[in-house]
Amino acid sequence: MTGIVIGNTLRTSWKQILYWGLGLGALGLYIDFIAMSPDIISGYADLLKSMPPAMLQAFGASDIALLTTAEGWIVSIFVSEAAIFLSVFAVMAGLNITANDEQSGLMDVILSLPISRSSYLLERWIGFALIGLGIVVLCALITLAGVIGMNVDAPHDVILKSILNLYPGTLLAMTVTCLLATALRRRALAIGFAAAFVTASYIFNVIGAAASGAIADFMENVSYFSYIHGEAFVVGTYDPADSAIVIGAILIGFVLALRNFVSRDIGI
Amino acid sequence: MASDSVINIRGLSKTYGSGKKQTLALNRLDLSVAQGEIFGYLGPNGAGKTTTIRLLLDLIRPSAGSATIFGLDIRADSVEIHRRIGFFPAELSLWEGRTGDQIINYVASVRGDTKGIVKHADELAERLDLDTSKKVRDLSSGNKRKLGLVIAMMHSPELLILDEPTGGLDPLVQQTFHEMMDEYRAKGKTVFLSSHVLSEVQAICDRVGILRDGELKAVESVEKITNVEFQWVDVVFRDAVPAGLQQQLERLPAVTNVSTNGTRVRMRMVGDFDPLLRVISGGYVETLHIEEPSLEEIFLAFYSGDKEKTE
Repeated sequence: MTGIVIGNTLRTSWKQILYWGLGLGALGLYIDFIAMSPDIISGYADLLKSMPPAMLQAFGASDIALLTTAEGWIVSIFVSEAAIFLSVFAVMAGLNITANDEQSGLMDVILSLPISRSSYLLERWIGFALIGLGIVVLCALITLAGVIGMNVDAPHDVILKSILNLYPGTLLAMTVTCLLATALRRRALAIGFAAAFVTASYIFNVIGAAASGAIADFMENVSYFSYIHGEAFVVGTYDPADSAIVIGAILIGFVLALRNFVSRDIGI
Repeated sequence: MASDSVINIRGLSKTYGSGKKQTLALNRLDLSVAQGEIFGYLGPNGAGKTTTIRLLLDLIRPSAGSATIFGLDIRADSVEIHRRIGFFPAELSLWEGRTGDQIINYVASVRGDTKGIVKHADELAERLDLDTSKKVRDLSSGNKRKLGLVIAMMHSPELLILDEPTGGLDPLVQQTFHEMMDEYRAKGKTVFLSSHVLSEVQAICDRVGILRDGELKAVESVEKITNVEFQWVDVVFRDAVPAGLQQQLERLPAVTNVSTNGTRVRMRMVGDFDPLLRVISGGYVETLHIEEPSLEEIFLAFYSGDKEKTE
């Protein structure tokens, strides 16, 4: 591993950090702006009270009382919405690791250079992981800047940690997409299955959190969205084991993707 | 041949798909290419040329057989092999949003000797009249292919693997390319060139392999393969073609493909000329032109001959 492919990936794709980071940051500022007004938050909480639990979960609010606080509002609403947007980025990034270049034929040129397939995949993955990190950090800093600038009464460290906690889930969605692209070879199929993975995870999380029982618990446990719970930082119940589970899944996914990519034919 | 071979292929096969959809793209290919040789790899579309090249580059994996380049296994030692080769793909794709210079710098850095390689790339770009400051998306298809050639050749590789390299290049650039190939030969470097532009292969290659339906039909020197038994004969009479001459010619076992046009008769001739001379002596022969078949015709002869056998 020389880092050359990482550098090239960052050079060709660094603008994604700006586009996504600024876009999500703008969303964060908007949510900060609403958080300045306790009346709006409590009104919104009253509205949510009339909703069934599954709907509440879909709106990123599992605890109504929490939503009436500024930090609870910012974390619950922003994290649940940003997680969806970041999943879209993750799918696109996962496709960019190998599938897009393979589809266009560029991979033939790349792999005729003196670089092993495993090094290439690893460096591409790291490159897009760094871009994902840049996006999450940028949107977290903008949201935090909004909190500070608008004098919102919310603990800064909680806001920062809960948004940064979006990163492992984003990496997981990216890695799963990369795995699908290396396994299925056809880009369109990989997009379809990755979209299905993200959508199913989201639905499982909503239903799993709203319902009770063994099946509901299972659904919640297999959804990566359930490990992106910003509220845990607000109420102090964050368990590092949750992040460890996601990181473990990322490692397994990456190893499987590596095995696929190294062992199979390249191109169509 | 095998001892000083740069490329050594033994029983290499490749099938795509499985079950009823299985397609045999390459069937037990045996081939050696010597150092300093420019080897032309000919065949119609779908013959297996690109499959062979992609196998040699370890982009796809063989179903059977093996191959070495520089004595190194194409699978186990692919990174070391790639360090010493240059490749130009038939379907060239490059980073659309980057300039030629940026791509050259990137590829040079992957190859590990940026300064020397970039300098040589600049020289090649100048020879090919290529502006490397433009983004790839702004280049014409011909200029993209020039950039592909620069990338393939900029590190002065010991072996060049070129898949249909001159398609889309203007004649002047093709001439420059031919000169570059001559220089490669003079330096003792090896070129494996896949093409269906047979006149090009005839002009620059030392040996030719003809591939059809995944099978290597012939490997011969360009001189030898050109020296096939048939020739085209044009006979121009001073007056009209004598009556009944065409029928008489068609009865000769050595003559086929007879056509007449005014005072001219054209035919495909195999073997001795004496029977032909006796038949045409009935008229006043103004000129007699004997034409060696082009490589295209030789190729078609291989192709149709084999087809006839199978029918």
